[in-house]
Parts: sequence; structure tokens; C-alpha cells
Amino acid sequence: MDKKILVIDDEQPTLNMFRLLLGAYGYETLTAANGAEGVEIFERERPGIVLTDIKMPVMDGIEALRRIKDLAPHAEVIVITGHGDMELAIRALNLDATDFLNKPVQRQGLSQALSRAEERLAIARTHKQEIAVVEEDEAVALILRGSVTARSEPFLTRAMAVARALGKAEIVLDFDENASINGAGLAFLTSLLQEARDNGDAVCIRGLSENFRKVFEVVGISRLVEPCRMQTPG
Amino acid sequence: MSPVRRALARYESLSLKNKIFLSILGVVLGISVAIAFLARYILVSSLTAELELRGSAIAHSVAERGGAYVLDKNSPMLLSLIFDEARLHERKNLIAYIFVTDQDGLVLAHTMTRAFPAELRQANVLEPGESRSVRLVNVEQDSIHDIAVPMNEGLYRIGSVHVGLSKSHIDSLIATLRLTFLGFISAIILITFYLSDRLTRHIIRPLSKLTRISDELSRGNFDISLDMQEEDERWRPMDCPAYADTEMPCWHFDQSARQAVGHRTCESCVFYRKRQGDEVVQLGDSFRNMVWSIKLYRRRLRESEEKYRSLFDSGPDPVFVVDCTDFAIKDANPRALELYGYEKHELLGKSYLSLGPENRDDCLLSFAGEDAPGAGDESLAAAAGCLYHPKVLHYKKGQRPFYVNVHACSISYRGRHAIIISVTDITEMIEKDAQLIQAGKMKSLGEMSAGIAHELNQPLNAIKMGSEFLALLDEQGRAVSAESYRQVVREISGQVDRAAEIINTLRAFGRKAEIFKERVDVNHPVTSVLTIVRRQFELDNIRFRLELGENLPPVLAHDNRLQQVFFNLLTNARDAINERSQPTDMGAPRLITIETCAGGGFVVVSVSDTGVGLDEGVRDKIFEPFFTTKETGQGMGLGLAISYGIVRDYGGEIRIESALGRGARISLIFPQAA
Repeated sequence: MDKKILVIDDEQPTLNMFRLLLGAYGYETLTAANGAEGVEIFERERPGIVLTDIKMPVMDGIEALRRIKDLAPHAEVIVITGHGDMELAIRALNLDATDFLNKPVQRQGLSQALSRAEERLAIARTHKQEIAVVEEDEAVALILRGSVTARSEPFLTRAMAVARALGKAEIVLDFDENASINGAGLAFLTSLLQEARDNGDAVCIRGLSENFRKVFEVVGISRLVEPCRMQTPG
Repeated sequence: MSPVRRALARYESLSLKNKIFLSILGVVLGISVAIAFLARYILVSSLTAELELRGSAIAHSVAERGGAYVLDKNSPMLLSLIFDEARLHERKNLIAYIFVTDQDGLVLAHTMTRAFPAELRQANVLEPGESRSVRLVNVEQDSIHDIAVPMNEGLYRIGSVHVGLSKSHIDSLIATLRLTFLGFISAIILITFYLSDRLTRHIIRPLSKLTRISDELSRGNFDISLDMQEEDERWRPMDCPAYADTEMPCWHFDQSARQAVGHRTCESCVFYRKRQGDEVVQLGDSFRNMVWSIKLYRRRLRESEEKYRSLFDSGPDPVFVVDCTDFAIKDANPRALELYGYEKHELLGKSYLSLGPENRDDCLLSFAGEDAPGAGDESLAAAAGCLYHPKVLHYKKGQRPFYVNVHACSISYRGRHAIIISVTDITEMIEKDAQLIQAGKMKSLGEMSAGIAHELNQPLNAIKMGSEFLALLDEQGRAVSAESYRQVVREISGQVDRAAEIINTLRAFGRKAEIFKERVDVNHPVTSVLTIVRRQFELDNIRFRLELGENLPPVLAHDNRLQQVFFNLLTNARDAINERSQPTDMGAPRLITIETCAGGGFVVVSVSDTGVGLDEGVRDKIFEPFFTTKETGQGMGLGLAISYGIVRDYGGEIRIESALGRGARISLIFPQAA
């Protein structure tokens, strides 16, 4: 089955190259030259994943993101940013973009983003919103997978309470590779971690894709929590 | 030439002294001689008459007393009578003889000691009826007045008495008179000589002195002493303050003849004086005054000449004097020699046009046309204005170019029409200008940088993705379809070209302009700038409408400077549009129109926008440096000022049509390259 993917970019050469590359990954590529066209095609074709450039005439990527999310809140929208433009990425995340890609697009980054998006789609389909709490020797791990959004908040709060009740030395926030934290997610994570610090809990972070590690740095979460020193097996 | 004319000519050429002498002498002599002759005549005639009277008296007396003797024929008595008469006292000298004749003419008695000359008897015959007869006779080389008187007895004549008076008496009297007169005249001559000599000396000496002095003065020697009559210690002209200080006016000297309401002098003038005296003294005084006026004038003139010579020689600006007819350089001051690097002898006679061949020759020629030969002095006075040509290209020695401002005025130089040209070296100013433009350009480059980064990122991304595709397939061991392969290769190549173009435009933009202008098709800088900014503007939802003319004639300019101007206009247009509406306003007009066309010897580039517009007050000031309608910190206000300067450099002008709320249209009008 050819998965459908929508690419929105005003540069024709970029669209051409995307078509080739995504075709090599097994996708049927739909293209649009601006946001308005993109929204229109999305509405018609309902692809699972959308790759969109931000700076476009007529309607830019941010507006398109908003519209698409209105149409399908669970749609995977990955924004393509200029090299190192974290501000734009975070702005997109605040609007529920699920990931971001840097230009010039590398195949590794692209394939990882695609696979993460697929996983999240799968998780969303199976409605597995819960956050697993796993006990380990010295610590208790909270496994976070897929999209971490506002909806995740009650689950995470409950999981935290559970973890605290276990009374282990450390609480580990174990992010899956496919974890995508949107703006809301970042916000409540920040407050959660602050609360934990005030409480005196020892919290560390494990996993997380490169992209989101950068996001945590920019957003300031990295200051509140450290990466875990030890790797858990598995 | 007739002898009279010759004599007159000789007379004319005599010196004054001799003239006066001769004239006086002539007159005096003439008068004296006339008087002499007159006197002589009067004397002689009266003396002669007197003598005759005496003679006849004697004769009558003899006739009375001798009548009886004659009748008696008493000769001895008659003889003694006439002898007594003849010898009586002083008559001895006077009477030469007395003789008596009868009526037949026979001599009855005579007093002559010698024989009686026969001719004497008939020499003076007394006619009957005559009472007296006087005749001059010659007796033995003596001239004698013979006076014959009849001897009458009653009514009958019995004889005649002849008394001979010697003229010698009269002659000696006359001789004495003559001698006296001669002596008198000689004395007169001497006195005249002396007098005329004294007189002429009195006149001649000052005159010849004046002549000598005038000769010296005419040879330019003003330092000789001016003593005329006598030493005058009270006269010290060096004390006059106006002489020493040429700035001070001298009342006497500086009177304008027309303003002579009343001749004024200082109260105690040291200089000019008029003494009482005769005309010669006054001539001397006036001459002295005149010479001192000349000295004063010369002194002022020399000071003025020195002043202006030093202005010319030491003037800080290079100055040329150029002949109007053939544009040969007649003079150049040291600063000009220094600036152009020539020696004086190389520059004189050289054509001025050779210093600036790209200089608009028509300017000098049109100048010359105003005072062309035959134009007369009135047109020269009318054209005595000046021409000013800024930023003209001149060449130093060795054909090194540099920029100057030329200021040319017409003058009269040694009687010929000439132009005096002052040249100001503005190389430094031009360099500063160029630096300013460069700084503006750097600022523009800074503004462009975001857009450039974005523009370069696009081709790089496409190239990367294409090569990633190939690498992926290679990794997976899959074959690339021919179609895909072709697509990738073509795309990579195309994108590299695109990136190269952007980089080239950038590099050209940043380059400093050459000193020489080039022929530029204005469409080229327009499209170059658009390459860089178009996408960025379109991202801001600003659309372009291009109406570029085809086959536009070139203009003389620099390509990258025109790019700078167009970039400036486009950013201003974008800012104006953004003031009026937001990029997200869907319905708002956000359009920039660029038109290029040619006509009437000009090439026109217009940039129109649908922005916020400019009102009247702002429109005039918009080109002023540091004037901006933007908020503080948003711009220095130099962009349009620099653009204005660049357009003016190329001989063009900028026009604005705008109204508040109705956008703006800025037109750049350039002259076509020749």
C-alpha cells in the first residue's frame, strides 16, 4: 500500500526532489506550491503525514498548519525549517506541529522523522495514551511514547504521583524515540519538572530524539533536568 | 622752397633765446634806423633852410650895400665889401665865396683866392624876375650851395650877388649826428642783448629743467630731484600719510573730476602747493605736484599689482588663464603646475582642452560663442558671468585621471578676450563620496543578508536532496531509473547555476565602482536586484509587475551603483506598502511595478508602489540626508540621499509623484549615452 504524504513548498525543485526521495521511501507524494493549495489537497486526499515549508507566499506554513490541525487534530504535520531556526520550530510546536526538519534535508533526518511520524500514527490509532510506569532497580521509569500533548497531562500527573509513591531514589522520564512534545506538552512538562524540583525529587530524562533534545535546550527544560547517567537495558 | 619760406623755417628752428634776441633786436634796430633817418632828414632840411636863409641874408646885405658900388663901378670897394662879409667872424667857415655879377653875367668881384672857375658864372643863373635862386654847385670837388640874389636899383636889376655856402659845415653836423646815432644804436644793441639774455634765461632755465626732468620721468626714472627754483625746506612730501599708506585716500588726488563740487584738500597738505609767483614759478609748482601725483599713483599701482600677483602666485587654488580663440594656456599659477604635474614651460601654449578631453568641450565653446570676434564689448560685458562645472574629469601629467570642479569666468587679458579658470581638486571629496556610497552599499548588503541566506538555502536544499536520493538508492542497492537520474542531474546543475548567479550578483554589488563609467542597459541592474529580493518580497506577499522595455539604449553609469539605487527604491517601496497593510491582509493591494522605457534622448526607470504615499511637505525633503519617515532606529535616512547623488552623477534626475494614501511613483531619468 502506498502511503500518502503531502509536501507543501513554493520551490518547485524542492518538490521534485522530495517526490523522488519520498518515492524511494515508498510514499505516494502529493505536492502543493503554497499553503492554500496544500490545505485544499489535504482536505481532499487526507494524507497521513504532511511536510510543509514555513515561508511561502499567499499562505505560509504556519497558517496551513493551523488549518490542517483544525481539519484533523491528529494529523502528523512536520514543518521544514531553515537551518537551525529553532524559534520557528517551537512556534510550530506550539501550534501542534509534531516534528520539524532542517533544510538542507538529509535522508537520515528525513527517514527518522518519517518513521517517528508513522509510529505516532500507530499509537494514535491504537489509542494508547497511557503512560506506563515501570519499576527498575534504583529508579522508576515513566515511559512516554507518541505525542505528548495537553491530553497527556492528567495521565502524566497520575503517573508522577504513582512514581513518587513508590519512593525510589530517582524518577526517570523515558522518552521514546518517536515521542513528539507539542507546545502544550512542553508547557506542562516544564511546570511538572519545576514542581518536582521544589519537591526535592530527583528526576532525569532518557531517550528523546535529537530534534527534541534541541527543543528542550531552547525551551529551558534542560536546565531543570539532566539526562540520566545510566542507560537502562532495553 | 622760396627764400622767404626757407628763412622762416630757419627762424622757427632757432632756440628761444636766439629767437627773442633776434626779434627784439630786429624791432629795436628797425625803429632806431627809422628814427635816425627821420631825424637826419628833418635836421638836414631845417639846417639847409636855415643856412640858405643866412646866406640869402648875407647876399641881400651885400646887394644893398654893394649896389651903389656897382653903379659907380667901384670894384675895390665892392671887393672889400664882399671880403668883409665873407670873413666876418664865424662866416669864414660857412662862406666859401661871394661874387657879384652884372646884368650880363660878368663877374665884377669875387672872394676866391684861386682863379675864378669859369663854369661857376653860369652855374646858377638868376632869371630875370626871380628874387632868389639856390643851386648846388660843384667847385673843385666841393659841393657848394650857391645862393643868387638880384642886385636892384629901384626896379632895375643891375646885377646879382652869389653867396656860396660850404656844405661841409652841414656835413660835419650831419656826421656828428650820425656818429651819435650809431653810438646810441650800439648801446641799444648791447642793452637789448643783455636784456633778452636775462629774460630768456629766466624763462629758459626752468623750461629746460622741466624738459630734462620730463625726459627722465618718461624713461621711468622717478627718483630724480625736483628742485625747481630754490631749496624749500618746508616741503617734505614723504611726511604725507597718504603717500606712505596706500590705503588712505588723498583728497586732492582722489577727486573725481565729475564730483568737483569744491576742490578739497587736507587742512595742512604736505604735498601739493601753489606759491605766489609768476607763470614760470607756477608752472614749476604744478609740474612738481603732477610728478608727485604720478609717484603716488605709481606706488599704489605697484602695491596693487604686487598684491594681485601674490594672489595669483600664492593662491591656494590652481588658476589658468586661457585665450578664448585657440584655448591655449596663457598663464598658470604655481599651484596649478603642482596639481597637474607640469613645468611652467610645458604648460604655456598647451591647449587647455588637452587637460580634459572628456570635459564637455561644448561648455568652453559655448562660452567662446558669447564673445566671438565681432561680438563687441557689450556682449562681453553681458557674458561677464561665469560658468561652473562640477565633477569634471581632468588628466594630470602622464594621463592620470582625477576629478575637479571647474569655475570659468571671462576676462580681458592684455587686450584679448580670455577666460580665467579656477580648478578645485575634489579627488578627496569624490573618494569620501565613494566611501559613503560604499558604506550605504554595505548597509544594503546587510539588509539583503537575510534574503540572501534564504535564497542560497533553496538551491542548496534541492542539491542536497537530489544527492541524498542517489545515495539512498545506492545504499539500498537499488537501481536508479533513467528518468529519475535525469531529473536529479538536471536539477542539481540548475540549482548550482542559480546559486552562482546570486553569488555573482552579490559580489558585483559589493565591488567599488571604477572611475570610468560604462555603457549599461538599465534592465540589467533591475533584473540583478530582483534575483536577490524577489522571493523575499513575494514571501511578504508583495507581488511584482514588470514592464521592461526592449532594446533600450545604454546609459553611461556603473552597473552595481544602479543596483544599489534600485535596491534602495525597492526596499523603500516594500516598507511603504508594509505601513499601509499587513502581509496577511488578503485583499490589500501589495504591488510594486517596475517600468523601463526610452524616448526623447532619455532612458526612464520607474518604481511604483501601492504603499502609504508621501505628502507634499515630505516629498521635497525626502532626498535630504538623514531625513526619514521611518521610526527611530529603523533607518538612517541616507538611502535616498545616496541614490540621489548617484543619479545626479550620471546626469540624471529623480522625480516623485505621490499623494498620501495613494502610493508613490519614483522615476529615474537618465540621458542616453552618446
